[in-house]
Amino acid sequence: MATSQPPLRFTGHKNFVYRLVFATLTGRTVHISQIRPSSPINPGLAPHEISFLRLLESVTNGSQLEISYTGTVLVYKPGLITGSSAGASSGGVIRHELPAGCNRGVSYYLLPLCLLAPFSKAPVKVLFTGPGVITSSTPTGDMSVDSVRTAILPLYNQFGIFNNIELRVLRRSNPGFNGRGGGGEVQLVFGHQVRLPKTLHLMNPGKIKKIRGVAYAVGVSASNNARMIDIARGILNPLVPDTYVFSDVSSAPLVPAPEKSNPSAKKKIGLGFGLSLVAESSTGCLFSADVASPPTGGQPPEDIGKQCAYQLLETISKGGCIAPAAATTMLGLMTMGTEDVGRLQVGRDVIADEGVIQLARDLAKFGAPGWGLREAAGENELGDVVISVVGRGIGNVGRKVA
Amino acid sequence: MIGKRKRETNIVSRSTTAKGDEATTPATNDTSSSHDIFRKFFEAQFQPLEVTDAHTTHHQGSKDGHVADESDESESESDWTGISEDADGNNTVEVVEHRDSSAIAEEPMDKRVRKAFMTSKPPSFSVKLAPVKSSPTKDDDDGDDVANLKNDLALQRLLKESHLLESSSDLAPTGKNRLKALDLRMQSLGAKSSLYHQNMPSSHRRGIKAKAEKKDDKRRREARENGIILEKPTPKSKPSVGRRERGVGGPSIGKFAGGSLNLSKRDLSAIQGPGRSGKGKSKRRR
Repeated sequence: MATSQPPLRFTGHKNFVYRLVFATLTGRTVHISQIRPSSPINPGLAPHEISFLRLLESVTNGSQLEISYTGTVLVYKPGLITGSSAGASSGGVIRHELPAGCNRGVSYYLLPLCLLAPFSKAPVKVLFTGPGVITSSTPTGDMSVDSVRTAILPLYNQFGIFNNIELRVLRRSNPGFNGRGGGGEVQLVFGHQVRLPKTLHLMNPGKIKKIRGVAYAVGVSASNNARMIDIARGILNPLVPDTYVFSDVSSAPLVPAPEKSNPSAKKKIGLGFGLSLVAESSTGCLFSADVASPPTGGQPPEDIGKQCAYQLLETISKGGCIAPAAATTMLGLMTMGTEDVGRLQVGRDVIADEGVIQLARDLAKFGAPGWGLREAAGENELGDVVISVVGRGIGNVGRKVA
Repeated sequence: MIGKRKRETNIVSRSTTAKGDEATTPATNDTSSSHDIFRKFFEAQFQPLEVTDAHTTHHQGSKDGHVADESDESESESDWTGISEDADGNNTVEVVEHRDSSAIAEEPMDKRVRKAFMTSKPPSFSVKLAPVKSSPTKDDDDGDDVANLKNDLALQRLLKESHLLESSSDLAPTGKNRLKALDLRMQSLGAKSSLYHQNMPSSHRRGIKAKAEKKDDKRRREARENGIILEKPTPKSKPSVGRRERGVGGPSIGKFAGGSLNLSKRDLSAIQGPGRSGKGKSKRRR
């Protein structure tokens, strides 16, 4: 860069990935310090954060990373988002291996990667593999891959990004022993790159018209699926008749677990089941809920189904046009959009969320103009708030043909 | 799928009394008629009797029960006198249904919905699964051909002139762009040179060219410094080395300037022809 700005300084490990994502999108160097400085056993960056840094390095060109000895300080100087070039091995697909100690779901990587992908130079094709890929929702708060595909990716359509987007679940896995590791395999193809996302005006939440869902069972009996579906439908069917929950049963993934006597031994991990529900309103707003069996087990599928159905109802009851899980994606894309005011109606509980407020502060630090907030008016108010976001108008640097 | 479809089980408990007094079944008919005859005779002699038809109802009740239960205790028919019941007027019928909830009819639509949802692509919620519209077949081939030709022409033009369009929205350019598009079309139809190719002193033209080059250079340099990636520079088209078209009646060799024909060394060698290396040979050939 000809103009070398001083690095933006952040502290703490919260909102780590999105800070790095916005640093990459805006081209600003960031300096993050005090990453878990007081943790006695695991100070510094966690395995999943390191893994995300590796992913960031593989989809960009010219990024520079400096991590201190203890891992509590990180300096990241972003490069260009190149995506997967055709020269790479196996047809331009970037292979990203997650370590066995990873306790976050693969959606932890997918959501920020999807936010980067529209601004890439070439299509982004990443294959997540290795002994740490958890496709289900996790106790650490990540959504399942199914929810990413059915509740997050359709949102890009509203920004004019819809072509050639695929999320293939090649092998499913729940969290393994102690909530660590999986053994799943997921491939993301994000082939629609734009110069600038369209300006969004989403002011009408509409009414819920249908509910879809996926129940998955990995390495356990398929009757778990039927039981989850039964209970969830029992709750949701009286409210929305158009409710379908599909069942997906797969065997447990085998990961190598070498022993002294048998170096080629393998073990099954990632057993469990879970449910992902998505509600769609008449205006195309999506709300999702995700519950999976805990790694410790001991919860009947009926409870999971009931929890998930109630969680979906709670998400819908928060109101607005977006679910809390989709807020970062939507607001991030609006910020990176055209130099125009986009509007988005959200529920009070959604904007009062800690993560959203942190996002607003971080974006302000990255130089985005502040959000305008006002009470929603008209027939769709319902106590909601309308956020006005001014786009930065920078968009895709890699696509810039000035 | 949502489990196997279980057999629908219905258990309907029904009251054992016959509905009201749909009185007699043929089995008891003859006995009742003989009773009737006796009663009539008795009533003629004495006073009217109050009717007690308990026996017949019980009998019928047991029969009805058999029909409902479809059980296999037919041989006990004669012994069993039915359930003794007191009230028969206000007896409400309780219906209990046990139905497997997962066996709620799954429509054939299920498969289509599943296909639409369980793909690797993000499901397109907004797209309605509309029945395929049959195209109107009455249209003749001629009409189609004309339309195809028209579309083809429009597409060709769009492809050729797309770089002129600011936004891809307007296909009919206006103003400066229209003139440029016209110029392009004329060239493609065989015009010798562009309308915009003006005749001017060569020094003038060279200046224009140099300026344009300088401008482009600066733009590229700045973009490089700012980390912006630009399009690749178009390769400079070299003037063709082939024969240049000459005017009619001019000298076929040399350059005529200032009233004199100047011959360059090259021209001379061209006149003299090749093969001056071997002297003897060349002389003979002359």
